[in-house]
Amino acid sequence: MEEATAYLRDGVLSHLEKLEAHARTLALKQEETQQQQEKLARLRARVQELRLQRDELQTKVNLQQVGLIRQERGTGSNVEPIQAVEARGKALLKWEVENVKSMLQAFHLTGISGKLTKQGVCFCISTAYERTYLDSYYLDLLIQQPVQIRHHSVPIFIPLEEIAKKYLQTDIKRFLAMLSDHLNAYAGRKYQADQLQEHFSAFLEGTLQRNLLQNVLLFNYDVETESKTFPFRAKLVYGDVTRCLPTEAIITCKAGDVSASLLEKTAAHSNLFCHTALHKAFDSFKRAAERLEQTA
Amino acid sequence: MAASGRRLRGDPESGFTMDETVAEYIRRTVLKIPRREIMEMLTIWDFLSKTQLQTINVHHTKERISQEVVTLCEENCAGIKQAAILDMIYNHTYPNKKVWTVYQMTRVAGEETDSLNLADFKYKFKRSLQTALKNVTINFREYEDNALWIRIAWGTQYTKPNQYKATYIVYHLQTPYVFISSLRSNLPLLCQALVHASNYHDIHEMELRSRCLDSLKDIVFKRYSQTFQTYHPRPLQERNVAPEKVDPRIIQENKREKERIQRVNQEVFGNGLQPKIEFAQYKLETMFKGEPEMDILTEKEPFRCVVKFSSPHLLEALKSLAPAGMADAPLSPLLTCIPQKARNYFKIKERKDILSASCLGS
Repeated sequence: MEEATAYLRDGVLSHLEKLEAHARTLALKQEETQQQQEKLARLRARVQELRLQRDELQTKVNLQQVGLIRQERGTGSNVEPIQAVEARGKALLKWEVENVKSMLQAFHLTGISGKLTKQGVCFCISTAYERTYLDSYYLDLLIQQPVQIRHHSVPIFIPLEEIAKKYLQTDIKRFLAMLSDHLNAYAGRKYQADQLQEHFSAFLEGTLQRNLLQNVLLFNYDVETESKTFPFRAKLVYGDVTRCLPTEAIITCKAGDVSASLLEKTAAHSNLFCHTALHKAFDSFKRAAERLEQTA
Repeated sequence: MAASGRRLRGDPESGFTMDETVAEYIRRTVLKIPRREIMEMLTIWDFLSKTQLQTINVHHTKERISQEVVTLCEENCAGIKQAAILDMIYNHTYPNKKVWTVYQMTRVAGEETDSLNLADFKYKFKRSLQTALKNVTINFREYEDNALWIRIAWGTQYTKPNQYKATYIVYHLQTPYVFISSLRSNLPLLCQALVHASNYHDIHEMELRSRCLDSLKDIVFKRYSQTFQTYHPRPLQERNVAPEKVDPRIIQENKREKERIQRVNQEVFGNGLQPKIEFAQYKLETMFKGEPEMDILTEKEPFRCVVKFSSPHLLEALKSLAPAGMADAPLSPLLTCIPQKARNYFKIKERKDILSASCLGS
């Protein structure tokens, strides 16, 4: 009220002026605060919006990782995630490689397989005898006229040159078949002799003598009969080098005088060796001896 | 050789007097044997009995040991044959004291291969040599790996065989290869006897020589590891290589190049140990290729020179050249073809044209 009386002294109009100005500033302030509040409200709303969007995207990402999006969208979608395509491609390739590997393995197991080289082909002849795989031998051929053997790992005592002279230029299949026969027979004979030395050395007297081609074997072995032990000498000649059984088995008894029953035995053994593999023959001797022991 | 210690040779009981030369030869052979091997070799010799061997004291001086052996041999009436066998045993145990040359026998095209009997071979060989030359000592010894060792001491029409310069021959019956060492003369005679006895037609010397007999056999019998292109590489024996302790801070800049060199080396040399040879000799008869301005050789004559590589183990050394960084991989085929071509003496002539190889044998 003191203000009012002060203003009345100055004049009513000036008082009104001052009131007007005051009202104006107040109104301005009010507007300002209103604007700020509106702005605040807007920003808040924006924040809410963004939050919602973020949540949406998050769920989208989660769902995509699980793969549910495709189900949601149904089968009509053609857009697949790149990772799945790559994974499928890799699996396919892996399967193809495994397939090829097993085919090559199958070829290798048949005994004759080959690989193309820059100038020809390299054949691999694998030998085997009665369910055991033995060594492999290689032949590197140059395909030109005439066909040449560049180098090979065939042992020196196999008549490679002879077989090549006969069949290499005219009939490669037959050449490979013949060579395979020779090598397999050699490997088989060697295997039998090795088995004899390894597993039946108890029966042998002295050393087993054999030549390089394993087609002449000489050995002494003991035969127990009529409760006595007789020394026998065996000479096995494998006349046909493409076979694993001897063509001739000469068995002699080294004892002084030989009875008729012993002669029979030598004949029987001779027959046995000509028809049974060497290690199997000795296996039968071993079993016979064991049976005798059991009955005695 | 000390002349002391010689006494009157002769066994008073049986009246046998051993030949002086035989006694001396046995004595010198025993002297060659290293002390620790003496008892074993005498046992293999199987000429002196066990009780006799027990009387020898290996800790005496070798001079004394050799005298003792000679005395014992006298008791057993040793002759030149037994002395020769002892010499053969010594050389079979130490074959690398000699240089071996490989000879190859060939058949005429169309001839059938007969299966040869060892007894036949020995008989024919001995007869062939002895009809040509009376004064010759021939001894045979068979070994388990089917090797037949032949020792020949040569004499002439008027002189007795010289036992100290004997020739040694190693022959595997079902192969066309013969390994000969210490042959100074009488080559045609020996070749004739070999060919006749083994039912071949001809024999020629291969350009392959080394001190290691087993390696020569490996090369010609193709027993060394060769690499072939195959889908199924032979299973490698696990080599006990300790994993390199590689510091992760060290980066190999040339890792790719190193791997390439290893790969190429393996393709050429294979995985196994190389056969052991000591020399490779290349006789060059090629034109000198120099700057045209230098004009050293104005006449177009081949520049003859001989290049000889030598090493205690030449092929292993060549194999290690590229990985050691001393040569580019792949090595020249002239060096790497040695086991495959079964030769280590080459004659290189001028290239006939750009495409053909320049390596021609003689």
